[in-house]
Amino acid sequence: MEYVSPEGLRLDGRRPMEMRQLRAEIGTVAKADGSAVFEMGNTKVIAAVYGPREVQNRSQQISDQALVRCEYSMANFSTGDRLRKPKGDRRSTEISLVIRQTMEACILTHLMPRSQIDIFVQVLQADGGTRSACINAATLALADAGIPMRDIVTSCSAGYLNSAPLLDLNYIEDSAGGPDVTVAILPKLDKVTLLQMDAKLPVDIFENVMGLAIEGCKAVSNYIKEVLLGNTKQLEYRRGL
Amino acid sequence: MLQSNTFSRKTKAGRIKKEVREIYLRDDIYCGASACKTCLASTCRAPLDASSPLLILDTNVLLHQIDLLENPAIDNVVLLSVVLDEVKNKNMAHYNRIRALSTNPLRKFYVFSNQFHKETFVKRMDGETPNDYNDRAIRVATRWYQTHLGAATPVLLITNDRDNKRRASEEGISADTIQSYVKSLGQPELLDLLVHPAPESEDVTMEQIEDLRPSKKQVVYQEHKPMSEITLGLHRGIYHQGKLRVNRYNPFEAYVGSESIGDEIIIYGRQNMNRAFDGDIVAVELLPQDQWHEEKNLSIADEEDEEEDDVHLAPSSADDAPRTTNLVSGSATETNSTPSRHSGRIVGIIKRNWHSYCGSLEPMAMPAGTGSFTSALFVSKDRRIPKIRIQTRQLENLLDKRIIVAVDSWDRQSRYPSGHYVRVIGEIGDRDTESEVVLIENDINSRPFSAQVLACLPALPWSVSSEDVTNSIRLDLRSLCVFSVDPPGCKDIDDALHCTALPNGNYEVGVHIADVTNFVHPGTPLDDEASQRGTSVYLVERRIDMLPKPLTEDICSLRADVERLSFSVIWEMTPEAEIISTRFTKSVIKSCAALSYVEAQARMDDSRLMDPLTTDLRNMNALAKIMRQRRIDRGALTLASAEVKFQIDTETHDPLDIGMYQIREANQMVEEFMLAANVSVAKQIRDCFPSCSLLRRHPTPTREMLEPLLRTAAAVGLDLDVSSSKALADSLDRAVNILQRDDPYFNKLIRILATRCMTQAVYFCSGDLSPPEYHHYGLAAPLYTHFTSPIRRYADVIVHRLLAASLGIDKLPSVFQDRTQLTSIADNLNYRHRNAQMASRASVELHTIIYFRKRPTDTEARIVKIRSNGFIVFVPKYGIEGPVYLTTRGEKGSGEWYVDEQQQKIVKMDNSLSYSVLQTVRIHMEVVGPQPNRPKLQLTLIF
Amino acid sequence: MVGLSVGEKHFIQGGIAQDLRSDGRKRLTYRPIYVETGVIPQAHGSARVRLGATDVIASVKAELGKPSALQSDKGKIAIYVDCSPTAAPVFEGRGGEELSTELSIALQRCLLGGKSGAGAGIDPSSLVVVEGKVCWDLYIDGLVISSDGNLLDALAAAIKAALSNTGIPKVDLAAETTGDEQPEVNISDEEFLQFDTSGIPVIVTLTRVGRHYIVDATSEEESQMSSAVSISVNRKGHICGLTKRGGAGLDPSIILDMISVAKHVSEQLTIKLDSEIAAAEASEEES
Repeated sequence: MEYVSPEGLRLDGRRPMEMRQLRAEIGTVAKADGSAVFEMGNTKVIAAVYGPREVQNRSQQISDQALVRCEYSMANFSTGDRLRKPKGDRRSTEISLVIRQTMEACILTHLMPRSQIDIFVQVLQADGGTRSACINAATLALADAGIPMRDIVTSCSAGYLNSAPLLDLNYIEDSAGGPDVTVAILPKLDKVTLLQMDAKLPVDIFENVMGLAIEGCKAVSNYIKEVLLGNTKQLEYRRGL
Repeated sequence: MLQSNTFSRKTKAGRIKKEVREIYLRDDIYCGASACKTCLASTCRAPLDASSPLLILDTNVLLHQIDLLENPAIDNVVLLSVVLDEVKNKNMAHYNRIRALSTNPLRKFYVFSNQFHKETFVKRMDGETPNDYNDRAIRVATRWYQTHLGAATPVLLITNDRDNKRRASEEGISADTIQSYVKSLGQPELLDLLVHPAPESEDVTMEQIEDLRPSKKQVVYQEHKPMSEITLGLHRGIYHQGKLRVNRYNPFEAYVGSESIGDEIIIYGRQNMNRAFDGDIVAVELLPQDQWHEEKNLSIADEEDEEEDDVHLAPSSADDAPRTTNLVSGSATETNSTPSRHSGRIVGIIKRNWHSYCGSLEPMAMPAGTGSFTSALFVSKDRRIPKIRIQTRQLENLLDKRIIVAVDSWDRQSRYPSGHYVRVIGEIGDRDTESEVVLIENDINSRPFSAQVLACLPALPWSVSSEDVTNSIRLDLRSLCVFSVDPPGCKDIDDALHCTALPNGNYEVGVHIADVTNFVHPGTPLDDEASQRGTSVYLVERRIDMLPKPLTEDICSLRADVERLSFSVIWEMTPEAEIISTRFTKSVIKSCAALSYVEAQARMDDSRLMDPLTTDLRNMNALAKIMRQRRIDRGALTLASAEVKFQIDTETHDPLDIGMYQIREANQMVEEFMLAANVSVAKQIRDCFPSCSLLRRHPTPTREMLEPLLRTAAAVGLDLDVSSSKALADSLDRAVNILQRDDPYFNKLIRILATRCMTQAVYFCSGDLSPPEYHHYGLAAPLYTHFTSPIRRYADVIVHRLLAASLGIDKLPSVFQDRTQLTSIADNLNYRHRNAQMASRASVELHTIIYFRKRPTDTEARIVKIRSNGFIVFVPKYGIEGPVYLTTRGEKGSGEWYVDEQQQKIVKMDNSLSYSVLQTVRIHMEVVGPQPNRPKLQLTLIF
Repeated sequence: MVGLSVGEKHFIQGGIAQDLRSDGRKRLTYRPIYVETGVIPQAHGSARVRLGATDVIASVKAELGKPSALQSDKGKIAIYVDCSPTAAPVFEGRGGEELSTELSIALQRCLLGGKSGAGAGIDPSSLVVVEGKVCWDLYIDGLVISSDGNLLDALAAAIKAALSNTGIPKVDLAAETTGDEQPEVNISDEEFLQFDTSGIPVIVTLTRVGRHYIVDATSEEESQMSSAVSISVNRKGHICGLTKRGGAGLDPSIILDMISVAKHVSEQLTIKLDSEIAAAEASEEES
């Protein structure tokens, strides 16, 4: 299968180094303390943050920092074939864990001892790169909830098909069986907080692909900053400042 | 700009799925015209010439007229991506050829990604068929080019779709059919290249072609079933899918290997083959069981144009040999044959395997007028291909030529498929022409190496550098007495040996193989080219190298008295030839002698010589003999083939003499150590990389395959035990002619017959099979591979890389991580290997004819098969085989002779004369020319 | 989940008693309803409905299946509701299951006429491709993204909108089949089968708080309810299904009274919903 045409175009018309269209919206779940929708092309996720609040299960309370929890779920209709058992499979559990660990690393948990922060991410549509989209949505929702963070976390994936590194794989490219490197970074601190890869890749190529994914993260972070700034301006405006 | 594309798709499991795909529309796709001011195309290729007319081609033109497009007369072409995608879906081979055109710097072909261009993107409308949609997209793109380039550049849409042409004209786009465009160019020879669409298609056809077709149309073949019905039939098990393989020696008989039945289905006759070609993927319907046998007789009687067998080279394995269906079993021996074989008829063709074929036109009288189209019949060299009808304006010119013809269509009203002329190779019978035919027929790339490939070679003159010697991975073995033994005149020496007596009484024996992978690195154009070629090809008068000459004859060749890099296998062996230890290492050697087999043999035989080299040779030979005996005891078969050797006139390249290839002890000695090295390497790589090693296996022949051997042996009272390779080897050893005591050649003859019952060994990827299947039957070895000839076989190059990686010298190239790619490499190697052998055989056959042209000869021959009208003889001296007829053609089995199936005998009715299998007869060999320019070797019996 | 003080409770109850609810609505007024269709392009039909801070998505996916032996001339329709934890932390893990099941069954009963399928909003026989052999199975999935009361009405509205948005590819038989074999079908060229959704009822839930009943309760109001009755009413004013929730008993006369009120409210709701769906479809076409 030809994933990059000899003219250098991917199946959806992008060039190898291009990302899909990003779209974000803050404050979609009225009842939550913070929420956001994040779209990367046809991948669409919604994240809601509840907290910081009292710890629900006393036994889990941590005396010197906040308890961060995360649950990832996919809507039945989110994939091409309808999902039949949407909750609690191993993949969901693993992604929940990944998102929790990634977000925990950037939340200033020591400022909120004996409290709990819940992050819920719901995939509405999956078209490749759901992990990245979830992390980006969670960042926005945490920011919306006003939870103190070291930096925003942004994520993007890159792959390697037809001997070309490709940024931000969609579902068809992802299912090609090639490697898929998902990276999350703290852009200001310039640190990588998440790095995952399936399939094999020679080290020198891996370096290129990871570099590309990091570039993607930086582009996402610029966009997220813009969205946050726009949102803050709107809040100011509403308050009449 | 973002658009989305939504469509429904049926999955393989029969489910209907909705697919949503994003489409990003761009403004950075350029028109590809070099003079275009608007498009800043400095970075990409812009081959189009805006000052001359631009052609935009519709899908049907690309699909049908590929041979025409490859002619430089058609140029300045825009290929739309929507068209390319459609071509890719319909015909991958044509797609690749078109892609090659678009990257050829000499041609002005430009691919325009119209689907992703913001101004040429077309959204599918409700209720629009895919075809209409594509046509509309083509017209939109054409119009864009028209406005984009302005009035100075005429843009012409070339389409043979009547509807698309009409709509284009309505929309103000200039459009034309390919036929009238080619006519307008005023080059009549181009017209021959045009493919004429089948009459039932909707496409615009040329009227004058219509007129040439016979007015009265008879349906010759049954209609092919529609695809949906075939799918359903396959699903329900009524039809069976498989690849059609036509019997090379009887084109009216074909086989379809069916997975659903788990057996082969025989297809008899052109009627049942129903327009399928060799290699097509077809759907077969089984015939009722009562017709299974009848069909066979029908097929022979029915086809009046069955050709007689030609004299050909004796087959060396089952892959070359005629299929074992027994033509002898006439109607009298019905009960004897095997009616249990499935026979069937083809109901549909799932995938065509049409390509172009080499051959010549059937001789015919010249028609009165010249310059007009004449219909002629093309006969392919490959007998499996039916005759092809072509239209030509240059009949006179083509009649005595070898030409290439491509197939276009085969409708049910015509007896033969129709095709078109592609190009002339040369005059029939000319040695160069015929050699080229051999190469083309076997898909052998004999073009000179490209500049990119040659750029990968190290600078000449090359010599071993001090870095090479001091490199820690290399062992310095220059002090050893290393020598090579090869056929005389061998220039590409890829193996050398040494044998040193150790103080403890053991021997250190080394096999040193040219270190080709030191120069051929994965991923380079050189490596890609070698991987594609797969093997060097040896023809009688020339060699087509896998690697460029500086590598094969100089840098890699382990010549005498120069330092060379090598990859060595070094054993410590006891005098009883037991291997105590095995070591693999890269090394530097300096060969002290490049011997020929004859020289080596002479040295060993000359008891006066006591120099170190000769002693080493003798020691080695002693070890080799023990190893050989042990291998035979294990059950390895000593097989025989009838290899012949030509002596070629250095001036004219004509053959001067011809004879059997003589095998000496020295040959066997070298062979023995090469086998041992291969086995050792196979173990090593298979242990290190159990799932991605490249190995070689030889499948155990089935009883059915050995059937003809057993039948022949039984006829002469010989009982062969074929239960295992060991049993077979033993019974072959015991085989003597009971009827005729003084028959020294008998044993060899039986071995030759045994060899041709077996299939050839094949390469495979170890991950694709389970360990018991790795077995090499002929060598009785559980593991085997090819390591010793990297200069001329790509498999050995791969094995060198594996071995180097297993020793930690090099890292494993990424190809080995991709099993499907590795499997496809192995498949290609098998294909190339087989083609190389076929080409060598064809080349020998060609030279045999040239040799006998001036030398009618009488000689001895052995009957190897009885037929209803005579028998097939094998001529040991020249390694050829061919039919001898007892009755004249056309009166087969007319009653004068009858066949005794049990005794494998053909007997004259009055019992006055009989011939039985394996009997020695004297024959006369002569080249005759029943038709002009078509010489053939004829064998006649001398009474 | 809604922690209310005594004062707040009295405020809510008092407001209802005086026909002026805490958000300024009257007892029988709905919050503004927003409909968006085609939100899930991968589904055959989808819609998002917002009712105040309640936000739900419904999607329709069609798959080829085999009709059940008992009803060989009908396709199958199933409704599944899932409450996303984004809507409320209590839905975390398996926490939303009970509510999800309750909603699924209520919707099945009110829109599809329960097990028998009699009086269903859409005609299941329109889903048959080959009688007894091939039919379309419709899977309707509801997802609650944000919850502020009255989920059932919102889900019913979303399902109705999603079904109006649904287009299923037309299929034809690949070849004649005989006997018991499963026939092969092919997609015919991009033509769509659409449903007549005018018969799909709307659900009006009347929540009893104190001595009065209100429509479209928020979650604060729902926390004060004694019982609730959900009534599905179609365009013709026929009652298609009914389900009562909440523990407290109701006087039969009050139930009859509620039904007639629901019927009245449903007329306005149907009109409002239809025009919203039409507007949403139109704006989807444009984009």
